[in-house]
Amino acid sequence: MASFDLGGRVVLVTGASAGIGRATAGVLAGLGATVIANGRDQGRLDATVAALPGGPHVAAPFDLLDIDAIPAWLKGLAADRPLHGIAHCAGVQVSRAVRQFDVAHFDQVMHANLASALALARGLRQAGVHAAECAMVLVASVGAYIGQPSNIVYGASKAGLIAAARGLAMELLRDGIRVNAVAPALVETDMAERTRRTMSEAQFAGLLDRHPMGIGKPEDVAHAIAFLLGDGARWINGITLPVDGGHLAR
Amino acid sequence: MRREDFLRDMDELLELDPGTLTGREALADLASWDSLAVISFIALTDEKLDTVIDGESLAKAATVQNLLDLLGDRLAA
Ligand SMILES: NC(=O)c1ccc[n+]([C@@H]2O[C@H](COP(=O)([O-])OP(=O)(O)OC[C@H]3O[C@@H](n4cnc5c(N)ncnc54)[C@H](OP(=O)(O)O)[C@@H]3O)[C@@H](O)[C@H]2O)c1
Repeated sequence: MASFDLGGRVVLVTGASAGIGRATAGVLAGLGATVIANGRDQGRLDATVAALPGGPHVAAPFDLLDIDAIPAWLKGLAADRPLHGIAHCAGVQVSRAVRQFDVAHFDQVMHANLASALALARGLRQAGVHAAECAMVLVASVGAYIGQPSNIVYGASKAGLIAAARGLAMELLRDGIRVNAVAPALVETDMAERTRRTMSEAQFAGLLDRHPMGIGKPEDVAHAIAFLLGDGARWINGITLPVDGGHLAR
Repeated sequence: MRREDFLRDMDELLELDPGTLTGREALADLASWDSLAVISFIALTDEKLDTVIDGESLAKAATVQNLLDLLGDRLAA
């Protein structure tokens, strides 16, 4: 179907060295897009790129915590051809009760998850960096909607992304850039595995219990991201789409 | 890290006066040892000792010393 086709589009995927980002790179490439795969781990990025259909795709290692350098980095990436989209899948989750709150923790999570998104938006809207029609998808989390002990700063960073998607959607209208978000529940990735390891079996069973359709696959999120990036979503702007197997419906 | 310094970090974590914990305490007797303290303990060992304690072995600990034992030789006497 033409509206889901991404042939001829160039899309930057952050977090492409693992989990949801890696699956997103695969789905987008499968729909015809040329993927620029970002992460920090060169080896795992190369593995992502090597497994993609079509191409030529490229690996673009860069630490997104270098927030102020992001716009210039994007300009460099788009030097040969403008971007048609960004799927911002990079992010970190660190569990911490508020009794251990400090600025270092706040900065780490907020910068990796939220400031990175805003700097990417700043970079993308520069002249020559985005194509005439362009879309950005941010990866939030159901953690923005559901109160979870010890996940407060993470939840706040993801709620920030949801608000940012709305604000950016309005501000970047004049640039032809749509901005939406997805909010996944628990998805089978390294991040989820790290969370599982810090829980007892009983606690993890309780978490699974709150997922009426079981936990998600990275591809489940990737398909939603691909839809929001493509023409099929050309009249969808500023929304956050839960991708949660019914988690929020309970 | 010295065992003594780690116990002081645990005092702070459990909102006890510095110097309270010795290792002999039963976790069940510590009012502030709750599910959030467990998560905070995991974050503490991750930050200070660069090691992630798995939740299942934590659930089996009965005393403060059992917790310290999970850290093995990362704690010096
Ligand atoms: N898994 C879930 O259950 C779940 C649920 C809701 C939302 N999410 C969100 O989905 C997104 C992807 O999560 P995931 O589960 O796929 O996580 P993951 O397996 O831990 O992968 C995280 C990715 O982010 C990249 N990344 C982290 N910090 C970075 C930085 N400073 N610069 C560049 N890249 C960086 C990592 O790249 P390197 O390792 O190469 O640096 C990696 O590719 C995150 O935003 C997460 O919050 C996940």
